[in-house]
Amino acid sequence: MDLYLQFGWGMMDHGRKLIKKWGGGVSILSARDLTDEQLVSLSRQLQELGGSVLLDPQFYLPRSQHHRLTAHAYWPQDYETTGFAGPAMQGMMTTLAQLNSTLQTTYFIVPGERAEDVDELWLDSQRDLINTARRSTDQPLMVTICLSDSAVRDVEQISRIMDEVSERPVDAYYLVLEKPRTAYLTDDPVWVARCLDLAAGLRRTLAEVVVGYSNHQQLVMACSGVTAIASGTYANVRSFPLSKFQAQQGRPMQRAVWYYYPQALSEYRLPYLDIAFRKGLREELLPQPETGYAEPLFAGSQPSASGWSEPQAFRHYLCALRQQARGAVQSTFDATLQSCRATLDRAEALIQHLGEHGVYAERRTFAKALLANRSGLNVLEQTQGPVLRHEWSTLA
Amino acid sequence: MLANEFGDHLIVVDLDWLASSFPDLSDILPITQGGQKDVFGCKHRQHGRCVLKLIRPRPIAQQYLDRECEAVSRLRALAVPNIPEIHDVGTCTSPVGPVLWVLEEFVPGRDLSEILSDGPLGEDQLLALARDLLTTAVSAESLEIVHRDIKPKNIRIDTEGKAWLIDFGIARVLDLESITPTDAVSGPCTPGYSAPEQFRYDKREISGSSDLFAIGVVLYECARGANPFIEGARDRLEILHRVERDPLPRLGLEWDEDGKFCDLVMALTQKRPYQRPRRCKDALEWLDSIANETEGQ
Repeated sequence: MDLYLQFGWGMMDHGRKLIKKWGGGVSILSARDLTDEQLVSLSRQLQELGGSVLLDPQFYLPRSQHHRLTAHAYWPQDYETTGFAGPAMQGMMTTLAQLNSTLQTTYFIVPGERAEDVDELWLDSQRDLINTARRSTDQPLMVTICLSDSAVRDVEQISRIMDEVSERPVDAYYLVLEKPRTAYLTDDPVWVARCLDLAAGLRRTLAEVVVGYSNHQQLVMACSGVTAIASGTYANVRSFPLSKFQAQQGRPMQRAVWYYYPQALSEYRLPYLDIAFRKGLREELLPQPETGYAEPLFAGSQPSASGWSEPQAFRHYLCALRQQARGAVQSTFDATLQSCRATLDRAEALIQHLGEHGVYAERRTFAKALLANRSGLNVLEQTQGPVLRHEWSTLA
Repeated sequence: MLANEFGDHLIVVDLDWLASSFPDLSDILPITQGGQKDVFGCKHRQHGRCVLKLIRPRPIAQQYLDRECEAVSRLRALAVPNIPEIHDVGTCTSPVGPVLWVLEEFVPGRDLSEILSDGPLGEDQLLALARDLLTTAVSAESLEIVHRDIKPKNIRIDTEGKAWLIDFGIARVLDLESITPTDAVSGPCTPGYSAPEQFRYDKREISGSSDLFAIGVVLYECARGANPFIEGARDRLEILHRVERDPLPRLGLEWDEDGKFCDLVMALTQKRPYQRPRRCKDALEWLDSIANETEGQ
């Protein structure tokens, strides 16, 4: 499983530096945060560094008032639910196809509306969008499936999607799944189980599956055999807050700097690292494996005075997550499952151990997500486990 | 008038009427009668020993009789292995109402349900049964036919141990409009064997995968000697709830040390079609890989 870069605001320099460091990698460019000119120049730069790009058209809310989104040439100016399937949709796809061609994207991400419920209306819309995209480009299609948290949790709605998928297979899927209560980390086991189920079902059609707007909670997706998770800098690209696509909001303010401790799957503010250092836990908190960005944090005796800042924290997070994602998939389904469970067990033990020393990850502790992830994995093992075990060599 | 375990009325067809209506038949004897179907053993002037089935549609479906007849007729021309040859098919009005009749090859042997009363099947029998059933399912799937009623009573094991899948009478030919009225609350199904999507009657989901579910349940029953969906169930509704809700307990078979056959059965019996092997062909290839490994040991 790979990590793709999910672009958001202020991501351009991070993207260039990381792709250069990695010698390659896939970036999902955000139409909301980049003008056409920026898209063109950035994609060229990333490609020159050995990377490849995808364009997320972010058509989740067709009636969006987000000016930077609606300013794009492909965005329909007069969206009408009933009339959109005609020339307006064709116009949008044609323009998008041209833009994708200019950007030399590896897939054409087919715009997809967010489904509050997976019903006939939404399925019809998806069919229209896919068919129109097929007529508009020769590129392989990556179909957006954007679902509300309630749709994700409902097995009947997941079944309707899978029924549709079996009749109309495509090359790849781009999953954009809202979390319950727009949480960064969710404690909802049903949501986790359904995500794993949906992703595994899609992947078993042999299509590529990319889970967008992810964070380290989605490392368990390795057990569904997904191609990649995509993550970025701020919390609003590590999960999917719909409101960020509704209307333009202020730029992210300077916030606390969080150190991602990969072994604990948790993020700690620097003052808590100060406490950890004083308690003699410095060595334990070193990231495994190293990312190349955390050294300054560990160079002195007081991390909060180290000058370690947001850009380093972001790059450290993405490097660590990439290594974890790439290491999550094993040669068999059982080994992958076991590895994921071991990661959760180790994180639990470390969170507890640090907590006993007064070192807390506060709202970014993974403690709340542990049970949900374990439960989700159990459900996956019970349902698609046997078939994943058998088909693993063709998926992973 | 009699009633079967589910309360369906049994109306006995008059043998004299049969003899006069089917002059090419002789020695007509009832084999089973019940529900929507009566089965008779007989001799045909040309084909020899045969089976005559009279299928009575529920009143709501009578208008679809010709379409059902067409669906079964199509089976005659199809090369589906391990199903009895259909010699002739038609519709007529019997003393108990309109019927679809099917004259087919007689398969000497025993019903699987009868064999199971002697206890679970061993490794060789189980693998052979799985192979025969999946081979039939693969062929049916390629022709877009779903049996929809695979269960031990519809499987005959002949004198050489080969499994025959009988009673394609309620098969749905997918490229025809459904033979069951759209306002029916549930399609043809046998509780405890039919897939959940069948008794939900979700037509979009009914496919070869539905037969895979039933095959999985049959294999499970043959391995364990009992069907957990049915065993001890209070009534048909409880069976349906169990099928919808309860996963089958994992099988533990001595000869299946690495659990691969158990995995196959678990995969076949998943509640949702997309959680099963994608195609019958995939399931058969899976079984073949298990059989090859078993032979190699």
